[in-house]
Amino acid sequence: MSFAALAAISIGLAGCGNKTDESTTSSPGASGSTKSGGAKSRPEPTAPTVTASGDTIKIGIVASMTGDNKPWGEDSYEGAKLAVEEFNAAGGLNGKKVELLLEDSGSKQDQAKTAAEKLMSEGVIGIVGEVSSGNTIQIAKSAFEKNIPVVAVGATRTDLTDVGANVFRVCYTDDFQGPVMAKFAYEKLGLRKMAVMTDNNLPYSQGLSASFKTMFTKLGGEIVAEGFYESGGKQASEYSGKLTEIKAKNPDGMFLSGYFTEVGPIAQQARAADLNVPLLGGDGWDSDAILTSGGKAILGNFFCNHYNNADNRPQVADFLKKWTSSHGGSEPNTTMGALGYDAAALTLDALKRATGADSKALTAAIADTEGFKGVSGDITLKGKNGNPPKRAIIVEVTEKGPKGWQKFAKDYTPDQLGM
Amino acid sequence: MKFLGIRLGSIALGLLGCGLIQVIANGQNSFIQLLVILAGLYVTLAVSLNLINGITGQFSIGHAAFYQVGAYTAGVLARSFFDKLHLHPLLWLVLVMIAGAIGAAIAGLVVGLPSLRLRGDYLAIVTLGFGEIINIIARNQETLGKAYGLDIAPRISSVFMVWALAFLTIAVCRNLLKNVHGLTFLAVREDEVASAAMGVDVTRVKVAAFVLGSAFAGAAGALYAHALGFISPTNFSMDVSFIILTMVVLGGTGSITGSALAAIVLFYIPEKMRDLHPMPVSSIVAGAIAIVVTVAVVKRVADNFRGSRRNKTLIIIGSIVGGVVIQLIFSTILRGVPSLQQMVEGSKLRLVVFAVTLVILMLLRPEGVFAHHEFSWSWVKKLLGHADIPETEMSA
Amino acid sequence: MVAGLELFTLPQQLVNGLLLGSIYALIALGYTMVYGVLKLINFAHGEVFMLGAYAALFASWALGYGPGGHAGQSSILNLAIMLLASMSFCALVGVVIERFAYRPLRNQPRIASLITAIGLSLLLQYGGQIFLLNGVPQSISGNVNPFPGQVSISLRGADKVALAKAEELKPAMIQTQADLEAQLKNEKSRFDLSPKGEALEKKAQEAKRSYDNLIDVANAKTVGINIGYGKIIMFVAVLGLMGILTYLVMFTKRGRAMRAVSHDFSASALMGINVDSIITFTFILGSSLAGAGAMMLATFQSGTKIDPFFGMAYGVKAFVAAVLGGIGNIPGAVLGGLLMGVAENLVDWAGFSNYRDAIAFVILIVVLLFRPGGLLGSAKVEKV
Repeated sequence: MSFAALAAISIGLAGCGNKTDESTTSSPGASGSTKSGGAKSRPEPTAPTVTASGDTIKIGIVASMTGDNKPWGEDSYEGAKLAVEEFNAAGGLNGKKVELLLEDSGSKQDQAKTAAEKLMSEGVIGIVGEVSSGNTIQIAKSAFEKNIPVVAVGATRTDLTDVGANVFRVCYTDDFQGPVMAKFAYEKLGLRKMAVMTDNNLPYSQGLSASFKTMFTKLGGEIVAEGFYESGGKQASEYSGKLTEIKAKNPDGMFLSGYFTEVGPIAQQARAADLNVPLLGGDGWDSDAILTSGGKAILGNFFCNHYNNADNRPQVADFLKKWTSSHGGSEPNTTMGALGYDAAALTLDALKRATGADSKALTAAIADTEGFKGVSGDITLKGKNGNPPKRAIIVEVTEKGPKGWQKFAKDYTPDQLGM
Repeated sequence: MKFLGIRLGSIALGLLGCGLIQVIANGQNSFIQLLVILAGLYVTLAVSLNLINGITGQFSIGHAAFYQVGAYTAGVLARSFFDKLHLHPLLWLVLVMIAGAIGAAIAGLVVGLPSLRLRGDYLAIVTLGFGEIINIIARNQETLGKAYGLDIAPRISSVFMVWALAFLTIAVCRNLLKNVHGLTFLAVREDEVASAAMGVDVTRVKVAAFVLGSAFAGAAGALYAHALGFISPTNFSMDVSFIILTMVVLGGTGSITGSALAAIVLFYIPEKMRDLHPMPVSSIVAGAIAIVVTVAVVKRVADNFRGSRRNKTLIIIGSIVGGVVIQLIFSTILRGVPSLQQMVEGSKLRLVVFAVTLVILMLLRPEGVFAHHEFSWSWVKKLLGHADIPETEMSA
Repeated sequence: MVAGLELFTLPQQLVNGLLLGSIYALIALGYTMVYGVLKLINFAHGEVFMLGAYAALFASWALGYGPGGHAGQSSILNLAIMLLASMSFCALVGVVIERFAYRPLRNQPRIASLITAIGLSLLLQYGGQIFLLNGVPQSISGNVNPFPGQVSISLRGADKVALAKAEELKPAMIQTQADLEAQLKNEKSRFDLSPKGEALEKKAQEAKRSYDNLIDVANAKTVGINIGYGKIIMFVAVLGLMGILTYLVMFTKRGRAMRAVSHDFSASALMGINVDSIITFTFILGSSLAGAGAMMLATFQSGTKIDPFFGMAYGVKAFVAAVLGGIGNIPGAVLGGLLMGVAENLVDWAGFSNYRDAIAFVILIVVLLFRPGGLLGSAKVEKV
């Protein structure tokens, strides 16, 4: 009898031995640091290459189709779908069609991770997504273990691309976005005493607040008050207590680094608490839902975005035409539509240039991207460690009009910030 | 001698089973392996919660908190010590499991001690609140990674260890029920006052149940942390507690076999639902109507029918078939309503399954599918046609 | 965390707390009354509250305040319609839940009802994600509130000397701003100025800053309270509803019957009270109060995020409030609710804003340990 037991144990041990992955994945961000951002060399994935098999080439997309980030997740999926349809209509890769597999992340990190692993088990050679940084880091790590390239859609947290050489994004980073807003607040709005409100539930918000604070104090401003709240369905949108404390510190501006779901109510309650200062934020504000949740209080405030529907670049007009024709005439509600399109189109563009339809060649081709004409701007990834230098556009929130609700205010390029 | 033989046989069979699961899982891709691991963890969690809820009759709905404590204990230890100690990963896993168990056991003691003064529903709220407090602390502590959570390197996914833990949990709970200590647990469940009068140390029993149940959950948490390679507060939300609770309730409060099987079934169905094609809201509404009608009819028959057992079964089967027909009819009718044509992904329905399971089960069979029945060798023998020495059935 | 306590924000925080607490109190009443008659924690009560908010939302849409709607100034009538819609819908939901989920289980062990309640709560949350506008967070338009202004009460005025100094700077500030405005007409965009414009902008900003700084100095010692008119209406309405409830429970026949059932379930049945109808009555009362609370919170706390988990956030805290006041005890629920709201705001006041949500559970555990009967309840040793 005990022989059987021993045998079982040894089978178990043998089985586990080779399952252990002792790769020294750098573990970024746990301490909330957002430094480095692609400055150091990134670890190379060592796992064997995955080659596309079957009649189609499979590309996966992880998107928040449910949960708090649903407006972004849906747009990013629709955008990616558009890019894939276009690619296939143009003949695909030497006649081979690309198949886009969707998995839902439910706006949660653990689900995002299992979604990515599911996609990889189905044989995808590249992954597009996600919008939120917390989710993308988990996807990136799983993909690193399998040597699959990841092109993030809207994940701006800086240390994301440090996960490995397989991780790229088509948007700017929080280390750019935060300082841009700080510079805008300090120089253009003439603010000196800022209050910052951070969403403790979002790695994105924590990172963005940190980079904003650093730059703002470096410019000579002062952070006079800080408030923390938690997003997520089960939290009450009740901020008057925190806002009363912030008001007592007499800030002349407030930076809200969270998502639109909470920013709207905060803006209204800030006005109710007699805190009538300009509000600023990051690309987390980007959804027209903020107009209802923020009411009049959100109008005339500024946030940082990736592109603007009113932009006069030909790619934008082209994209909007394609989008509206397949969406019954309505323009995308968030910029994630454009970024999702860019992320997928960039991946497909790289697929064309790649030496073969496998994950390693695809990674190399993506890393070689130079001057890709995206909807949200030109994207260059060569020698950039996955972080393309991009323009940041500051827009003003206005009433919904025929030209959308985001009025262009100012744009900044990385050079202007000395980055 | 025979006793010892059966014991060793059971142990050997159990370990062999775990090995077998490992071998089978090794042939699959890594996603399936992850699912097998998660299923094993849920078996552990359900059986350990059953120890508190089913066997001792307490009502905890915050089991995820202990799972979380175990996972974070493992996470913090792995971050600070793994690289320095150079242990074999499996040995490390065992150590971390023990550490997680100890951490969660302490947490269980912390909750268990004050909760002694509370009964049923109050205790439920306290455990729920404890879960939230643990989560809030994790979200706000720098050392615990705040909202981002902890990255845990290395990722050690050992199917064998997970299932061995599940096996151990089942074995401990089963053996507990078969000896004098277990009797006191059951006595406390049945009547606290009476058992106290008979000399049972109610306090000790309740705390012991809490500590033991939490310890297993903590060990599971430690394995989870290493299997997934990262943990964050959202992984241990209230939903997880409710999922575990549903498993215990479905299996039958008090039945270890029931909890274990329910854990596997309830883990499998929602995972399968991810693959479902999006369906229109209309067919979901039709399904809901059909379920309500079927449940109402079955309930009525089960309560009031006075006839032969065969007729009763026939009527129940008939009403289920009727339910399917109703579903088809209504979904055809509702297809005409434009506002109900929106498509819903299967993954959205995952948690609805748990909720519906809970409600329907309570209305139809509050004691759970297995009630208090257990798998045992004598039952196997009976199946094989051997008459057996009557075994004392401990569970009430 | 900001160190140091600012005593002068305390009055405002207390008022904030009382206003929020009044909503908690309304919800807590539902928990406490149901517990009184059935000895059951109605876990789904929070979800009734959530549905009430949705009822109010849909009512506001029907009145023309939907997305894209541009209905004009609102009126008290609109508010009354929304309140009625929300209260009656919640009452209906409460009755349905009681009839089909709790009544069949009345003779089962109490744990079975509790599990059903948890199941219902989950069902309404996750079912809501499918049926209630796909679970996308919504909010009631701020235009629904006919009284957008606010009243400021000053407990200690501003420093007159500093204020006078600030007034001296005001003309300069206005002048620089006018200069800038004039220049802006010649500029392409406000954020892309010519050197001349930039200089003017800088001047205007500096003038405004020095003025603002003096105002801040002047206001540094002021103690004041701001309350929106809407919130005042809300508070008055809550008091009114509580008055009606008190009348119904204390001075009507049904109310007396309800108290009897709550005192001794089986004896009152023996005395000829129709227990079923009294329980239905209790659910109607409790649920419609929750509906009223949801409507008023979502309307007067502008921008309040309504989603299928809305009830969870408030329900759990209201339950703690009921326990704090002594579950089963009606004045206790009101007291507990108000204290709960104040306690939450005091946590913010003390600078621990990230632990705000934990305070409810800390209170709960402390109360259960030291005074299980709650503040106004009698501590009974429960026989199992």
